[in-house]
Amino acid sequence: MKSRLTALGLGLCVGGAAVLLAACGSSSSSTSSGTRGGTYRVEATDFGFSNNFDPTGEYTTNAWGMYRGLLIRTLVGYKMIAGAAGNQLVPDLATSVPTATDGGLTWTFTLKSGVRYAPPVNRVITSHDIVTAFERIANPALAAQYGFYYTTIAGMDTYASGKAKTISGITTPNNQTVVFHLTTPTPDFLYRLSLPAAGPIPQEVSKCFTTPGGYGRDVVSSGPYMIQGSDKVNIASCSTIQPMAGFDPSSKLIMVRNPNYNPSTDSTSMRTALPNEFAFTINSNQADIFNRIKAGQADDSLNAPPASAVATLVASNQKQLIKTGGADATKYISMNLTQAPFDDIHVRKAVNLIMDKAGLQQANGGPLFGLIATHIVPDTMYNNDSAITGYNPYPSANNAGDLAAAQAQMRQSKYDPKQDGLCDTSACKNVFTIAVNTSQDLNEIPVVQSALAKLGITLNIRQLTPSAASGVVSTVSRNVPLALSQGFAKDYADPSTFMVLFESSSIAPTGNVNASLVGLTPALAQQLGVTIPKDDVIPSVDAQAAACGKIPTGNARTTCYINLDKYLMENVVPWVPYLSLNQVHMISPAVTMWDYDQSSDTTAYSHVAVNPAKQS
Amino acid sequence: MSAPLLEIDDLTVHFPSAAGPVRAVDGLSLSLARGQTLGVVGESGSGKTVTFLAAMRLLERSRPEIHGRILLDGVDVLTLPAREMREVRGPRIGMIFQDPLSALHPLLRVGDQIAETVRAHRDVGRRDARAQSVAALAQVGIPNADERARQYPHQLSGGMRQRVMIAMALILEPDLLIADEPTTALDTTVEAQILDIIDDLRTRLGIGVVLVSHSLATVADVADTVAVMYAGRVVERGRCEAVFAHPSHPYTWGLLDTVPALGAERSRLVPIPGSPPSLIDPPPGCRFAPRCAYRFDACTRHLPELVERGGGHADACVLPVPGRGARRHRLAPSGEEAAP
Amino acid sequence: MGRYILRRLMWTVVVVIIVTLITFVIFYVLPSGDPALRFAGKEPTAQVLAQVRTDLGLNHSVAVQYLLYLKRLVLGDRYGWPGLGFSYSSGAAIAPQLWQRAQITIQLVLGAAVLWMVIGIPVGVFSALRPRSRFDRASLFVGLVFISTPVFWLGLLMLWLFSSTLGWLQGTGYVAFTTDPVQWAAHMLMPWITLSLAFAAIYARMVRSNMLDTLGEDYIRTARAKGLPERRIVTRHALRASLVPIVTLLAVDIATLVGGTVIVETVFNLQGLGSWVLNGALNQDLPVTLAVTLVATIAVSLLSLVADILYAYMDPRVRPE
Repeated sequence: MKSRLTALGLGLCVGGAAVLLAACGSSSSSTSSGTRGGTYRVEATDFGFSNNFDPTGEYTTNAWGMYRGLLIRTLVGYKMIAGAAGNQLVPDLATSVPTATDGGLTWTFTLKSGVRYAPPVNRVITSHDIVTAFERIANPALAAQYGFYYTTIAGMDTYASGKAKTISGITTPNNQTVVFHLTTPTPDFLYRLSLPAAGPIPQEVSKCFTTPGGYGRDVVSSGPYMIQGSDKVNIASCSTIQPMAGFDPSSKLIMVRNPNYNPSTDSTSMRTALPNEFAFTINSNQADIFNRIKAGQADDSLNAPPASAVATLVASNQKQLIKTGGADATKYISMNLTQAPFDDIHVRKAVNLIMDKAGLQQANGGPLFGLIATHIVPDTMYNNDSAITGYNPYPSANNAGDLAAAQAQMRQSKYDPKQDGLCDTSACKNVFTIAVNTSQDLNEIPVVQSALAKLGITLNIRQLTPSAASGVVSTVSRNVPLALSQGFAKDYADPSTFMVLFESSSIAPTGNVNASLVGLTPALAQQLGVTIPKDDVIPSVDAQAAACGKIPTGNARTTCYINLDKYLMENVVPWVPYLSLNQVHMISPAVTMWDYDQSSDTTAYSHVAVNPAKQS
Repeated sequence: MSAPLLEIDDLTVHFPSAAGPVRAVDGLSLSLARGQTLGVVGESGSGKTVTFLAAMRLLERSRPEIHGRILLDGVDVLTLPAREMREVRGPRIGMIFQDPLSALHPLLRVGDQIAETVRAHRDVGRRDARAQSVAALAQVGIPNADERARQYPHQLSGGMRQRVMIAMALILEPDLLIADEPTTALDTTVEAQILDIIDDLRTRLGIGVVLVSHSLATVADVADTVAVMYAGRVVERGRCEAVFAHPSHPYTWGLLDTVPALGAERSRLVPIPGSPPSLIDPPPGCRFAPRCAYRFDACTRHLPELVERGGGHADACVLPVPGRGARRHRLAPSGEEAAP
Repeated sequence: MGRYILRRLMWTVVVVIIVTLITFVIFYVLPSGDPALRFAGKEPTAQVLAQVRTDLGLNHSVAVQYLLYLKRLVLGDRYGWPGLGFSYSSGAAIAPQLWQRAQITIQLVLGAAVLWMVIGIPVGVFSALRPRSRFDRASLFVGLVFISTPVFWLGLLMLWLFSSTLGWLQGTGYVAFTTDPVQWAAHMLMPWITLSLAFAAIYARMVRSNMLDTLGEDYIRTARAKGLPERRIVTRHALRASLVPIVTLLAVDIATLVGGTVIVETVFNLQGLGSWVLNGALNQDLPVTLAVTLVATIAVSLLSLVADILYAYMDPRVRPE
C-alpha cells in the first residue's frame, strides 16, 4: 500500500518525496525558470559547523549543501534535485561513474580535463589533488570526523601511523587518472566518494593547515563559486596566508563567482549557477529572520520556520512560498536494552504500540514537518520499494496509540505481575529520561508522558540543550534508559548508514551512537562497566548487517536491508520511530527558482535563482 | 529718633496641618532701630525662628498663612514680588543660622560660596569676587584667609565656620543682620568670640542686628533691646538693662531663675514646671497661665496685650503692677536675691 | 591616593583569578558530558575524539588546564597577547573576536547610558521640583511600565513599530561607525532605547528622591537666604549634591551591563559579548566563556574603582587625607 497523501486542512500538500509533491501543483518543490544575476541571501541563527567549514572533517548537512552546490566538486556527485532521482550518483569531476573491477577491489576514475581551481590557486585540478584529500583524511592530527568510511582503502592505516609517506591504496598513473585499491569489496564505495572530504584539495595551500578546522577559513574552490576574498589571499608561503575575508564564522559566509569555472566541464542538470553571489549571514533573532524573508529582505534560511509563520503564509494565500523536501532522516525515541523496564522486549513493543505518533507529529508542527515513521530507515532510501512502504508493525487508529494491544504486550512482560496490562513494579516509576529543550522537542514531552502513563510508566525527565543531551546519551556509563527527540539523518543514500547505529562495533564508552546497545556482548559489557540484566541476552544484528553490506548496490541489497529493518522492528525493537522528517523552507517572493537537494537535505543552491527587482 | 529699620506689626503665621492650623506666630509686634541689637529670646516652639524666616520670605515651601506687616525701612517685604525679594536677601538683609556645618554647602569651597553671593547681586568678575571674599574672611578674623578660602567647610572648626557664615551674610553690607541662634552649636569660649565679631561689625557697618537665642545670658552682653517670646507672642520687651534689672513678666522671671549664677553659692537650678502649650489649640487667655505660679482667674479669661510700663518697657501680664516684683521674691522658693 | 589605587588593582588581579577558577570548575562540574564530543561530529571514532581532545587541550587534567590557561593569559600564546586561545566551535582566535564584539557591546552600553541619563536626570529634577504634580505622577506611572516590561518584548515591539510598520528605522543588524555613521546610529537607536528605558525610569526616581532630600537641607535654605536665583540653587547647589551617588551608581551599572546585554543583542542581531558568551556557554565552548567572564570581571572591578575615585572627587568629605 503506497503512503497516502496527508494534507493540512487548508489544502497544503506535503510529502516525504517530491514524487508526491509534483502532483500538488502550486507547492511543488521545483519552481520553474530563473534568470542570471542577483544575490541569494540566506539567514540563520547559527551555521552550526562541526569542523569550522574545513571539508576534511566538516560533518553537518548545512555545510555539505553549500559544498556540493557551490564550492566543492567530487569525483562522483548528484544532480541535487528532489526525490529519489536526487539520490542517484552521476559523474562530476570524473568522466563517468565506473564499476568496480578486480572482484570489487579496484575503482578507476578518469578526470575531466580543464577543470580549474578558483583563485588564489588557479591551476588545473589533477589526480594528485584527490590524493591530497585522502592524505588529509588519513592524517590523525586533522581529526577527519567521518574518516571511518575510508579505512577500506589499502594503506590508509600505514600512512596514518606515519610508517609510510604515501597511501599505497591510491595510485595516480597520470594527471587524469586515479585508482583506488580496497582491502575488501565495498559496494557503497562510490557513495563515500561523493562526500565533500573526498573533493580535490590543493596541497600548496592545505599543507599550511595542520590542525582540525584550520583550512576552513581558506577553502579553495573547485566549483562555480568561491569564498569572497579568495583572490586576495597570498599563497606565496604559509606565513602570508590570511583567512578569506568573506568568511567570518560568527557572522557571515559570502560566495562570489569563480572566474575560472568552466561550465562546459559541468552540466546544467547539476549546476545552473544563476545568482551572482550567495550571502549566508547570521541573525540571532529567529523571528526576525522570517519577517525579513516575508518582506523580501532575505530569501531563505538554514532554520526551519516556526509553525505560526507557516500558518500565516498559508492563510494569506501564499503557500507557494513554503517549500519542503524529505529529509531522509528519522526522529525516534531510543530505549536502552540494558536498562529496566526496557530490557524486556514486550515492554518495548508495548511502548511502540501505545505511542501517540500523531500527537508527536503535531508537537513538531504538523504533517508539513514530517510524516509518521513506522520503521528505522525512511522509505526514500529504499527507493520506495513496495515491500516496505506500507509496513507498520505497530499500527493504531489515527496513529494515536492502541491501548488494548499495548496492554496485551505488557501482560507478556515480566513487569506486570498483576496482569492488568500496566507496568506495576518500581522499575517503571520515575524512569530517568533525557529530553531536549528546543521548543519543538519540549512540546513532545507531555505527549510521551501521557502515552506512557497509560501503561503505568512514569518518567523522571531531564531537559538539556541539544549538544548536552547528545553528550549524555552517548556516554555509556550514564546508563540512560530512555532518550526523547533523537534524530538521525543519512550520510548518503544507502541504508547501511543507518544500520551502523545497531552494530556492536559502533559501541564506544563516549561518543556512542548505538545508544540502545544492540549487540552488546557480556565481554564488551564488562569492559564498559555496564550491567546486562540477569538471564538476558541482548540481540545482535551484526551478522545480518555484515551480510547486507557485501551485496552490490541494487534490488538485492535494498531487499536485504528491508528485511534487516523489519527484523530490527520486530525482534530487537530498539527504537520508537515516529517521524520521517521533512526539511521546511520559507522563501521570499523574490525567489524565481528553487529546488531541494535530496543528497544533502538542504536547499539545492545549484538550482536557485532570484529576481533582484523583487528584493528589498 | 529716625524711623525703625525693622518693624514687625501684628504678624501671624499659621501653618496648615491635618489637625488644624498651627499658630506658630500669633500676633507679634517688634521693632529695631538702625545700629542697634535686638535680642529675641524664647524656648523652642516660641516662634522666634519662624518670625524671621517669615521676614526673609523663606517659608514659602510650607505654604503658611501670613498676616500682618514686616517693614524694612518702611517697605512691607511681605508684599514684594519674588524678584524684588531676591534683591532684598543678601544686599539688604543678611541671615546666619544655627549649625554652620549643615548651613554651608559641603561640596563647595567656602571662598566660592562667599564669592557667589557677590556675583549674584553685583556685576563683578570672578577674580574680583574671590578677592572680595578673601578680604571678608580676613575681616571676620580668619588667619591665612587666602588659604582658608580654598578649603571646604568640613575642614574648618566650628567657630571658623560661623565666621565664614558671618562674612557671607555681611559681604554685601546689608542694613540688617538676622542671627538665628548663631552660637548654640559652639563652645562657650568660641561663643564669646563670635558675639564679639557680630557686635564689632555692627558698630563698624552701622547695621541693625537681630540676635535670636533661647538663652537670656547670651543676649545679655550685646543686646540693646530685648524681646521675650512665648507661644508665638511677645510677652515682655524693653531695654536690656531694664528687662534684666526689673523683669516684669512671670515667664521672664522663670527664665532668669534658670540661669546658673556664677559666683553665687551652689544654688539649685529652678526649672519652669510644665511644657509649652499646643500651638494648634492654645489655652484660652494668657498662654503662659497653665505654668504660671502667679496665675489667677482673670488670666484665663482674656488674652493679655502688651502694655507699656514706661521707658519702652512693656509686658503682657495682668498681675497688678504695684508689688509685682515683691510678689516674685515672696514666692521664689529659695529666697535668695534674684540675679541682677 | 596612588597607593589606594594600586591596592585596588592588586585586588582586581585576585578577583580575576578566583572568578576564572570558578568558571573552570563550573564548566567541568556541569553534567554535560565530554566537551570534545560536541566538536567531533556525528559518529566520532575513538581516534577522532582523542585528536580533538588533544587539539582543544582537554587531554590534561583540569588543574593543569587551568594553570596552562593562566600561564598563557599572562605570557601570551601563539595568537599573541593576552593568550586567550581559540574558540572550540569556530577554531578562530579569541582575541580579535573579543575586541570586535567588545566594541559593539561597549557602544551599546555607553549609548544607552547617555540616553538614560539624558532622560532620567531632567525627569527626576522636574518631578522633585513639582512633587505630586501631574507631571510627577505621570512620570512615575510611565516609569513603572518601562521597568516592568520584559526587555525582549520591548525590543520586539520597537522592531514591529518602527521598522515593520512605520518603516522609519532599519531593522536588525550592526553597521560599523567607520563604515557609515548615519546607518550606525540608525541601527543602534532602537537597541539603545530598548536598553535605556527601564534604567531611565529607575534613575529618574533616584534623582527625584535625592533631590527632594537635598532640597530640604539647611544649605539650600542658606542659598536662598543669600538671594541666589532659583535656577542656580537647583543646579549648582541641589543637583550637584544629588548627583554624587548617581554618578557612582552609573559606573557600576555600566560595568554589570557589559555581559548583561544578551537579550537586546539577540533581538537586534548585534554580535556583541552577551550573545557570544551565551552561545559559548550552551555549546560548551570554554575559551569563549572564560574570555567574556574575564572581561566582565575586569570591567566590574575597574569601574567600581572608578566609581570610588569619582565619589572622592565629587565629595571632598570622602577623600582619604
